[in-house]
Amino acid sequence: MSSSLIEVQREEFSILDSWLKAREFIVVGKSVRRVDSLEKVLGRARYVEDYLVEGMTYARIVKSSVPHGLIESISPGEASSHPDFIDLITAEDVPGQNQVGYYISDQPALAEGKVRFHGEPVALVVARKPESAELLRSMVEVRVKPLPAVFDPLEAMKDQVIIHEEVGSNVVIKTHIGKGDAEKALEESDYVVENEYRMGYQDHAYIEPEGVLAIPKDGEYTVIAPAQYPHLAQLISARVLGVPQSKVRVIQPMIGGAFGGKDDMGPILAAQAVVAAHKTGKPVLLTYSREDSFTSHCKRDPAIIYYKSGASKEGRLTAVQVRIIFDAGAYANRGPFTLWRATAHASGPYEVPNVDSRGFLVYTNKVYQGSFRGFGNPQVQFAAERQMDELAEKLGIDPLEFRLMNILKPGSRTCTNQLLDHSVGIGEALRRVAEASGWREKRRRYGRIENGKARGIGVACAWHGISTSRGVPDWCNAYINVAKDGSVSVYTGIVEFGQGSHTGILQIVSEALGIPVEKINLIGGTSDAPDTGATHGSRGLSFGGTAALIAATKIRKAVQRVAARSFGCSPDDVELRDGWVYCRRDPEKRMRWEEAVKACYLQGEEMSATGYFFMPKERFDEKKGQGQAYVVFSYMAIITEVEVDVETGLTRVLKVWPALCAGRIINPELAKGQVDGAILQGLGYMLLEEIKVEDGRILNPAFTDYLVPTIMDLPEIMDPIYVEDYFKYGPMGAKGLAEMALIPMAPAIGNAIKHAVGVSPREVPYPAEKLYMDLRRVRGG
Amino acid sequence: MRIRFTLNGRRVEVDAPPHITLLELLRNYLRTTGVKRGCETGECGACTILMDGKPVNSCLILAPMAEGAEIVTVEGLAEDGRLHPIQEAFIEENALQCGYCTPGFLITAKALLDRVPEPSVELIKDALTGNICRCGAYRMIISAVLRASEKMRTTSASQG
Repeated sequence: MSSSLIEVQREEFSILDSWLKAREFIVVGKSVRRVDSLEKVLGRARYVEDYLVEGMTYARIVKSSVPHGLIESISPGEASSHPDFIDLITAEDVPGQNQVGYYISDQPALAEGKVRFHGEPVALVVARKPESAELLRSMVEVRVKPLPAVFDPLEAMKDQVIIHEEVGSNVVIKTHIGKGDAEKALEESDYVVENEYRMGYQDHAYIEPEGVLAIPKDGEYTVIAPAQYPHLAQLISARVLGVPQSKVRVIQPMIGGAFGGKDDMGPILAAQAVVAAHKTGKPVLLTYSREDSFTSHCKRDPAIIYYKSGASKEGRLTAVQVRIIFDAGAYANRGPFTLWRATAHASGPYEVPNVDSRGFLVYTNKVYQGSFRGFGNPQVQFAAERQMDELAEKLGIDPLEFRLMNILKPGSRTCTNQLLDHSVGIGEALRRVAEASGWREKRRRYGRIENGKARGIGVACAWHGISTSRGVPDWCNAYINVAKDGSVSVYTGIVEFGQGSHTGILQIVSEALGIPVEKINLIGGTSDAPDTGATHGSRGLSFGGTAALIAATKIRKAVQRVAARSFGCSPDDVELRDGWVYCRRDPEKRMRWEEAVKACYLQGEEMSATGYFFMPKERFDEKKGQGQAYVVFSYMAIITEVEVDVETGLTRVLKVWPALCAGRIINPELAKGQVDGAILQGLGYMLLEEIKVEDGRILNPAFTDYLVPTIMDLPEIMDPIYVEDYFKYGPMGAKGLAEMALIPMAPAIGNAIKHAVGVSPREVPYPAEKLYMDLRRVRGG
Repeated sequence: MRIRFTLNGRRVEVDAPPHITLLELLRNYLRTTGVKRGCETGECGACTILMDGKPVNSCLILAPMAEGAEIVTVEGLAEDGRLHPIQEAFIEENALQCGYCTPGFLITAKALLDRVPEPSVELIKDALTGNICRCGAYRMIISAVLRASEKMRTTSASQG
């Protein structure tokens, strides 16, 4: 870390440190009820489609029905004579840059010249009435001259069909991390396991489909956008409009689920909607149908993973060698980062002396990948954790014991040779979850077929770097203003989409100021707040909370100074609690919070503050693939118990024991909600959710054929075991947690299936029909 | 065409094209936006309403079919500013996250409790199988329905 950063942020470090050492909390660590629950049960919460604006119009996308081709013409056709038709918007109408690419500038807001996947938006139709937009878009005529297309990433790597001429190759990004000599170490290992793993798409399937409302007024734009990073939606909207970023204002509505998907789709739809609003001069509500959402919104990256790992006969991991191919689809989008994350987590949370992990991001003519809870990591943890079980079996060691023999602990070095100096609780999590589940006894007893059914129990671990990787700059911020009457407004760019970050941030501010949550108003997810970075990478509460804590503590200190003068004591002795400000040594000396605030106003103490914090990062050497990959990791251990029906191949997950290392838990009840939700999405990923693609076209764009877990699939989920391995830069030591439980779920189920019936799943999803076929192969018949 | 029915205890009359769905009528013509659009094909349950006491997907019903019917949406659950026990229970059990599926779950659960005041967990699951919660709050939703059932029985016992 640079010494100047230490100097500049001296106050911030000391604030975080003092809260880390605090022994008692009033609000933090308690299950405060989520602040948005009342309006949600009343049906009054306003999601984007619930806004009503004077003169509003309604837009839908017109999509390509060709996976790769040259656009010859786009015309409204019969739509133009319909009374509800307002306009047809194409790439030609984009006043600024037609560019929404996240890292690589390869993606248009509306297709220009070429289409690169079936379902790609080529135009928008704008209608007077909401019910007419669907009909009107079916009348639009799009003529495309088909080009040869490529769908298989291995085929695409041969570069016989080029999808992006400007890039020149379908291999758009290569990644690498490693240390030691994996090749040699594998040759010398006592045991080696080598396998190929295949992972499919996963759709976010948030129940609220995508939508954005763009309102133009006098050259400025208000955008109601379910986005996970308001300032990114603002930046991209401004770019397509060709106006300064400050001319666009982004406001978050209530958001009906995001899971990463709206990190991508929020800005993309915002860009599409503002172009239509600009051209028509009217407010435009652009919505996707459920089918649009399936065909045209980003998904979890499909992957092919070749994994070779070795161990010594004493049970120590010797080396892993991994090759990861991520199918980017038509655009690079988040692929460079999901792939990097997969590459850098390839070892799993274990000490491995020799590592060689390489990744390839490959374009194909299919719907593109994007952010999704776990962000590239679930794919590679599946491979890593299935390998661990297979190695353990070869060694003749219990798979949980084998993990414990190699698990990361404080002082370990990771696969990028990063030293972990603190906040590594995974070993304890694994031991506790083993005990809670009755692991040893069930490992002995299960794995026998009785009456056509067999039970199995499986374990898997995961580690997950929080927030951005490597030296990618990372910061957080918040602005707090205390009004003269003592009421408090907190502005944060962190977005609430169900995870509960806003409630958590309110708890932190409430704790720091010693006033009830009800006295604090949080204005979140808006570009009016300081740029706080995105609400992704499990950083909403952990980093957004850090900023709020710093800002609130600055105000706390001002109040302490003023009160100390009045009480004649030291500012350190002034306590803020339950709406009172008092002297700890002489509690008779006290005043109401409101009086203290008034005194601050009269005595020259500023009653507003920002909580800017620039995350200190160590160096990462890209050439060697070594260094600090992430400032901190959260960890998860999961044990699942399954029952496999041998006749049908149907797997039922009966019980799940989660153990989480996410530092301090700010709100246990909300944390439990995140763990449960991630477990169910992980269960769906492994057993149910399959996107079927034929010649680039998605065959099952509906909930009838794309199965997400229903209440019938709910296993018995135990309350999480929390190992609170505090993180020094998190608020009161908190780390990220919302993604965690999804990541080891698929391999935990896979390992349990292996234990139950002896079949070794190497594919995700692994629905009943696949298990059935594999069972037939193993058992004959 | 003119469509007349009872919405959350109030008689309404509305002019709307005959080909739109009841979901569109409620949302776009009557601004009853607590009813949510999720899939428009009857697969997710977000648009569930009560039609003559029965939970139905409003996206699968044509607007004119509401003629003369008694419709209850999530907005009609609270009475005289007091939450319905199922609403209270959802808050108390943290049975919601993003909240988008919540109106549909509340309505389906109310219909169940009206029919079976003391449902088993199996029956609750069976009743709610047509409602998807992608945030995965199912465990808490079941607890909330059980809690609401208890609340409603206590209330009716004290009244009776």
